[in-house]
Amino acid sequence: MDARNEMPRLLGSRRQGFSLQQPFYIDPEFFRLDMELIWYRDWLFVGHDCEIARPGSYFTLQVGDYPIVVVRGRDGAIRALHNTCRHRGSRVCTAERGSSARLVCPYHQWTYDLDGSLIFARQMADGFCKADFGMKPIACESVAGYIFICLADEPADFAPFRTLMEPYFAPHDLAEAKVAHETTIIEKGNWKLVWENNRECYHCAANHPELCKTFPEAPTITGVPSVDSDPEMLEHWAHCERAGLPSRFRIDEAGQYRAVRAPLLRNAVSYTMSGKPAVHRNLSDAVSADRIGTLMLYHYPTTWNHVLVDHATTFRVLPISATETAVTTKWLVHKDAVEGVDYTVDELTHVWAMTNDEDRRIVEENAFGIKSPAYEPGPYSELHEGGVIQFVDWYAGFMERRLAEGAEPALRSVA
Amino acid sequence: MTELSLYRHLDEMTPWDDRLQVLEVIGIADEAPEVKTFAFRSDAQTWFRYKPGQFVTLELPLGEEPLMRSYTLSSSPSRPFSVAVTVKAQPDSVGTRWMFENLRVGDHVKAYGPAGDFSHHDHPAAKYLFLSAGSGITPMMSMLRWFSDCAPWTDVAFVNCTRRPQDVIFRRELELLGNRMPGLSLDFLVEERSGNEKSFGHRGRIDDRLLPLLVADFPDREIFCCGPEPFMRSVRDMLETAGFDMAHYHEESFGRPAAMAVSPPFSDEPSADAQEAPTREAVAIRFAASDVEAQCLPGQTVLQAARGAGVRISAACEFGLCGTCKTRKLSGEVEMSHNGGILDEEIAEGYILCCCSRPLTPIEIEA
Repeated sequence: MDARNEMPRLLGSRRQGFSLQQPFYIDPEFFRLDMELIWYRDWLFVGHDCEIARPGSYFTLQVGDYPIVVVRGRDGAIRALHNTCRHRGSRVCTAERGSSARLVCPYHQWTYDLDGSLIFARQMADGFCKADFGMKPIACESVAGYIFICLADEPADFAPFRTLMEPYFAPHDLAEAKVAHETTIIEKGNWKLVWENNRECYHCAANHPELCKTFPEAPTITGVPSVDSDPEMLEHWAHCERAGLPSRFRIDEAGQYRAVRAPLLRNAVSYTMSGKPAVHRNLSDAVSADRIGTLMLYHYPTTWNHVLVDHATTFRVLPISATETAVTTKWLVHKDAVEGVDYTVDELTHVWAMTNDEDRRIVEENAFGIKSPAYEPGPYSELHEGGVIQFVDWYAGFMERRLAEGAEPALRSVA
Repeated sequence: MTELSLYRHLDEMTPWDDRLQVLEVIGIADEAPEVKTFAFRSDAQTWFRYKPGQFVTLELPLGEEPLMRSYTLSSSPSRPFSVAVTVKAQPDSVGTRWMFENLRVGDHVKAYGPAGDFSHHDHPAAKYLFLSAGSGITPMMSMLRWFSDCAPWTDVAFVNCTRRPQDVIFRRELELLGNRMPGLSLDFLVEERSGNEKSFGHRGRIDDRLLPLLVADFPDREIFCCGPEPFMRSVRDMLETAGFDMAHYHEESFGRPAAMAVSPPFSDEPSADAQEAPTREAVAIRFAASDVEAQCLPGQTVLQAARGAGVRISAACEFGLCGTCKTRKLSGEVEMSHNGGILDEEIAEGYILCCCSRPLTPIEIEA
């Protein structure tokens, strides 16, 4: 099967409002096209400014075939670099995170400054020009404490996302927060299944007893359509905006990202079993209003987020293969909040640790069933799964456009 | 390439950089029994900037771990296109013996330095006394050559002590220098006469009877002394007894310090390389993880001391840039001149770069 021909055919024949055909969820060639056309082209959330607070601190990650290092320079700027030595290609930074005055390849100690420029290579020939062999830069943007990178040679304009997202998130001061806890789980399912599951709460009642103590299952919270018609939402936005916090639903024209502030159940302030704060110190000194609920952001294909008054929970999705996806969760608190005094990790992480694991099981069962030769696409609930429909439409639209760009013309003109 | 093309005018050249450039042997000369002079130029077109009396540390590629050996430069910076060391191979020497047997003109050697402050540049005076024994003459020769080129009227009393007349190094050159330095007085003190070399001078060892005889105004002179430790000890004792102001006494030793006799992990490590490794103000280093104690010689870095003691610390750039040799310091103080290879917070946490740290006090490091 030639995926470059098969995928456009299946996208062209897909039933709108139905789940995708089997190869989208299991086929390695389809996965490769996902990587090439989405993951290697779009802006990806990779981590937080506060994780690399000081010059020389860095973290690494792997996006498909690309090893990447994100590092803060001596000038305070955050940069992303291809983590492959310009000598013979070895990975330069091998640790998941660390702090180093220079980036030194462990193989032959080629030494790069924090901006990627090669500053030392032992005993190379006369005429060797270090300037020609710096670590390759990757487009990198930091907005309101979130670091995004883009592997494309010509990245899409980041400004529209910044314009939408920054006013919502900036008051929460995530750039100055600290990561109180971090987990990475591997879900044995295609990255799109992870997203589809995230974009609806149709499954919540039966699967997320912890989350359902505070998070509303209302489709207007998760979904896209008819949010403006929900009086409770309108009231919540008015309340939050009076407190100076942008809150109303805003979505990108192409549907790739959205921000909105939603209320929690029964005036809960945090994702805890009691609904009470998990941290006895607000996340941001600037945000102290009560009942601000959760500020939610998604940005396809890498992140969904919840920012509360006392902490933030951020998620990063990274595909590993057609049938495996890594989901990294970070719990951010005020940088001066003290573990054991202002919060305990157990209480802070309990609800989402359970929810993540519950989601993992759901996704894995979903993936397992899709492998059946008997699987055929099924209809999403228009009431509850508007968010999933929106996600799949976004995916199909992006892929169709990009497949068409790369496609050979059907007929060659002959001179 | 012709010899001419190797050298440009001094003002067109940059100084030699021991981190980047290696030395090439351009001449080997016999000076005396078991004594040779090795002259070097830089493999890049550079000139040598140092103070007469300083030493360099050669990295001799004997085995898997190179041997680090320090030698005083016998050359003068007034002739800046090359440097020379004059070395004597003692019966049990390893490094020097290797140089005798292996180094040929055209060979390359990695070197560090120059370093050290045993130089009249650091102690200017109206009159000098250069007191040396055996191959301790080399820093004196460097200083005297500088005087001859730059300040030939300088008043220098030069006394060299040897066992036999034929052991006097640079004798002919010293006598010729006397022709251009009206203030130079030369004395060679030998212990034994010899049948095959004439010797008209004094006989015996330097003592409180001979010294005033040879240099009557020694109390007015800035004294530089170099030679085996027993020789220098007797000079010190003699001067102290004579009421000499020891602030004007400077010494450079070439005997291996006692602490270095601690049996090193390499079975073929030299027990002594006389003349090598100046010992003035050697500082104790303890390598905690290796459970090795050693001495860091003046001018030596922690990394060089580690190598000398057989402690493996990986290093790449060796000038404080790459940070490969970053190691935690457990106690003591060092002076570190890095090139950005370490973060301030790492320094605050007690890390040092071994390649560019020199101990100020006894230190203990985690290596």
